[in-house]
Amino acid sequence: MTFWKLFARNRGAVAGLAILGFIAIMGTTAQLFFPADPFSLAGKSMSPPGENGFLLGSDSLGRDVAAGIAHGAKTSLLIGLLATLVAVLVGVVMGALAGYYGGWIDNLLMRATEMFQTIPSFIFAILLVAIMKPSIESIVIAIAVVSWPAVARLVRGEFLSMRNREFVQACHTIGMSDMRIMLREILPNCLSPVIVIGSLMVATAILIESGLAFLGLGDPNIMSWGFQIGAGRTLLRSAWWVCTFPGIAILITVLAINLVGEGINDALNPRLRERS
Amino acid sequence: MSHASRRIRYVLKRLLQAIPIVLAIVILNFFLLQLAEGDAVDVLAGEAGSATPEYMAELRAKFGLDQPLPVQLAVYLKNVAMLDLGYSFRHEMPVSELIFDRLFATMLLMVSTILLAVGFGVLLGLVAATGLNTWRDTVISVFALITYATPLFWVGLMLIVVFSLNLGWFPTSGMENFAMFYEGWDRVFDIARHMVLPTITLSLFYLALYTRLMRASMLEQAGQDYVTTARAKGVTERRIMFVHVLRNALLPVVTMAGVQVGALIGGSVIVESVFAWPGLGMLAFEALFSRDLNLLLGIFLLSAVLVVAVNLVVDIVYSSLDPRIEVS
Amino acid sequence: MNLRQLAAASLAALSLAVAPALAQKAGGTMVKIVQPEPPSLASYLSTSGPIGLIAPKIYDGLFDYDNDLNMVPALATSVDVSEDGKTVTFKLREGVTWHDGEAFTSEDVQFTVMDVLKVVHPRGPNSFREVTSIDTPDDFTAVFNLANPAPYMLRALSGYESPIVPKHLLEGKDLRSNELVNSPVGTGAFKFVEWRKGQFIRLDKNENYWKEGRPYLDRIVGRIIPDASTRTAAMENGEVHYGAYGAIPNIDAVRLREMPDFGVTTDGYSMINPMALIEFNTRKAPFDNPALRKAISLVVDREFLIENIWFGYGNPAQSALSSNFKAAGLFADGMPNYPAGGDVEAAIAVLDEAGLAPDANGVRAEFTLDLIPYGEDWRRAGEYMKQALQPIGVNVELRYEDVPTWIKRIYSDYDFQMNVNYFYQLPDPVLGVHRHYGTDQIRQGTAFVNSSGYSNPKLDALLSAGAVEPDAEKRSEIYADVQKILAEELPVANIFEMQFLTVYNEKLKDHATSALGAYGPFDGAWLDE
Repeated sequence: MTFWKLFARNRGAVAGLAILGFIAIMGTTAQLFFPADPFSLAGKSMSPPGENGFLLGSDSLGRDVAAGIAHGAKTSLLIGLLATLVAVLVGVVMGALAGYYGGWIDNLLMRATEMFQTIPSFIFAILLVAIMKPSIESIVIAIAVVSWPAVARLVRGEFLSMRNREFVQACHTIGMSDMRIMLREILPNCLSPVIVIGSLMVATAILIESGLAFLGLGDPNIMSWGFQIGAGRTLLRSAWWVCTFPGIAILITVLAINLVGEGINDALNPRLRERS
Repeated sequence: MSHASRRIRYVLKRLLQAIPIVLAIVILNFFLLQLAEGDAVDVLAGEAGSATPEYMAELRAKFGLDQPLPVQLAVYLKNVAMLDLGYSFRHEMPVSELIFDRLFATMLLMVSTILLAVGFGVLLGLVAATGLNTWRDTVISVFALITYATPLFWVGLMLIVVFSLNLGWFPTSGMENFAMFYEGWDRVFDIARHMVLPTITLSLFYLALYTRLMRASMLEQAGQDYVTTARAKGVTERRIMFVHVLRNALLPVVTMAGVQVGALIGGSVIVESVFAWPGLGMLAFEALFSRDLNLLLGIFLLSAVLVVAVNLVVDIVYSSLDPRIEVS
Repeated sequence: MNLRQLAAASLAALSLAVAPALAQKAGGTMVKIVQPEPPSLASYLSTSGPIGLIAPKIYDGLFDYDNDLNMVPALATSVDVSEDGKTVTFKLREGVTWHDGEAFTSEDVQFTVMDVLKVVHPRGPNSFREVTSIDTPDDFTAVFNLANPAPYMLRALSGYESPIVPKHLLEGKDLRSNELVNSPVGTGAFKFVEWRKGQFIRLDKNENYWKEGRPYLDRIVGRIIPDASTRTAAMENGEVHYGAYGAIPNIDAVRLREMPDFGVTTDGYSMINPMALIEFNTRKAPFDNPALRKAISLVVDREFLIENIWFGYGNPAQSALSSNFKAAGLFADGMPNYPAGGDVEAAIAVLDEAGLAPDANGVRAEFTLDLIPYGEDWRRAGEYMKQALQPIGVNVELRYEDVPTWIKRIYSDYDFQMNVNYFYQLPDPVLGVHRHYGTDQIRQGTAFVNSSGYSNPKLDALLSAGAVEPDAEKRSEIYADVQKILAEELPVANIFEMQFLTVYNEKLKDHATSALGAYGPFDGAWLDE
């Protein structure tokens, strides 16, 4: 069965993909529906949803929350995807090499991983952003830097327990190259936890961005959901809509990403595939 | 060689290996922090309202900030070697004292959060996995996701609004009631009451991770060959699930819990901020923004030692959970 | 008001201060918000705001000030200023003891001013700059010998601004690092007991306080709560009684104001006199051009900022001096370039006239706007300005950095173009306003002084004259000229006169009787429980 057919069997995953697609389209076409700068002071401040021409209300400066969500979608998704991509790539390579070869390679790589892990990650992210000055790039880098060790350790653990398995031993005996064993035999078998952690990581990245914004370390010049939440948090008790709607946007996105992740997981997992 | 003495040797070896890591962390962070603009004196002068350049130069000399970087680093490393974390010029206190004061609060929050999150995570993951693709599975997955995806400060604030302001069950913030200054058991009870909301907030965030990891891991293990073998041998499903599968499925969960210890020290910054919990996260946060280098390095050092220790424990637990991973 | 009048007013106030009020109840613990956590409790080293919330309860000054800025005797019972203004004699209170039991004498005053405040206090060298020596003819008389009359000095004698510290504990010690820095010993209404970092600072009643029957409270606890929303929740939940200096955000204050249990006041800030403003770097483009500075002062809608970001608390700035100086006769009305609402057309006209024409994209100028990293409100202000400047063809990039980076950028590296900030103008322009404009205040590496690099000999002469002029009318003329020059040149454009808010639980009474408000001694505050 093709990957797509397997994936499509999971209705939740398809729904997640549809939502994600919608959000991506919303982000890329925001200019069409909300042509004005999302930072522009569009009207009466703190208008509740539906009033004064604001679909989702306005914030304390009279900025349109809906426009912010549409424009912010692109930024938030990009931050999440880019940071995760970098983190997973680095993590898988480090973890696979360490777990497969063991010995001094394992020692060296795991010491490096441990080094990054022993620094409290959120504080480290804050530190990196503070040093590099708050901007989208520095936020992506900071999130990737603090995220990869978790992947590396997980992958290493999987490789470590897998390299002594019968099927790997068998591959060795038939003379398969290390690269091939790692990529074709072991990796697919430990992909599901990586996908689980990876999909959560996209979400975490989006959440870290909002956390950084909460602490005042967001990029002040680019609209993102984190920015909106940061700007709306003091209004939570007086104008709930200002940070609740971006919060819901994050919630839905994270949910969708996870559903998709689950679908990929089910489709890729060779054992689940056999079973059904 | 006996099993026990091999293990002791292993532990000693790992501890020795940890020294260069800790050293590397100190050096890395030392130079990283130098990249940040401004120093402790700029902050103090800024806060003081105004200060002359002479006064600031004098302060820099006193703090040792006028020395070349390698000298500053050497002095710091020498102190650390003698188990002295240095002096926080901002607080006019030894760093070790500052950290020690916060350690209790941090440990309290960290341990209770891990217990709650791992405990419920494993339980929910188990329930979800055993009822794969039923309503139970769906409800648990969605619940876990929602708790995870809701921004922490929003959860925290909402809990405060509901449980402190509306219901009056718990205090809004802090670790103790400072108007009363309770003692003895009253104090223990008081601290416990203050702990409830921050612990729940922080655990909700980590709960999803453990739930999902446990679920995925259970499913992964359920498909393994040994399960088929066991089944063929006529072992009951119940026994397969709870003895064989569960034991192996716990592996990634334990790994993750080990990983999380480091993250929790810093990851609780937001919760500490929202609930005014006097932990190390906020201390580190404030140290960073006041360029209190000695203090920040001290916290990093402590968390490094802590994580190294926890990872060692995790590896040992690992080897007893999965005998195929040898302790070498 | 000249020096002799001030002295007379202080004596008049004396009779008011000793009259006991009636309904006060003694006892109870008052919990106040202290935010952020102070770096130390050494108010003689640092004027950092949060120190002021605690230290003045422990350290007394020579005088306190009531809400009309009349002098109220504290450690000094009276002050006498000689005819030529160069000899100021303080009579000190007898029978006062330090918290450790030692007697307070004139030696402590001499030591405090000459060896501490004039040396290590951030503003002390300015406040006491004319003091050449202090004589102590007996234990309870201190005679200040001045090189020139210093009318502003009598405004700087409070326990917040000039705390009197114990000579016997500090003499010969390193003033910056000694036991008193974290555990102060004073003569004040409350004794320091404990400071658990990140949690609270505890002060207990001083049973031997010199003011009979005071303080009423048994204890003051300063609680450290980092998050603004949580501070509000703690206030609503009755866990804290008092939050000043914006501890409770304005938006929440507006909400709490409507509830029966809570009060909001702007009293208690008259000594502080805060002003939100823009500093322009006049050294380099584009703000070496006064026309652009003028255009920005014209286009910023001060009323919008006050209404939407500070929720109605504040008044549009009208001049280089705050209108709070009206009572002292120093404020000049009707200055140009200070419209209350934004005036886009006037701004465009100024730019056109100066030849700052828009390029092909309609852009006349581009620069980076730095924002003071002291809270969300300032970020909103920056975001507003970015939008407000677009219609006049000015593009702004916002930059928001942490405190040390920002201070270094603005005051050491001068690597900025336009910076939003706020300053305390304090009770006299010499103390709080001169530091922006004087050539002698271009002090690279010193925070919160003349960062714009503005230098004008004519203005310098006026400022020097204003500092020492004893005659009220002449002084008022001098400052009118100062304000005229500054309204045209605008090295700094004031935005609005800030009104800090104190939010309190209605159970807490008589907490705003001092001009110093939250920085006051709190001996008269009491809880109605």
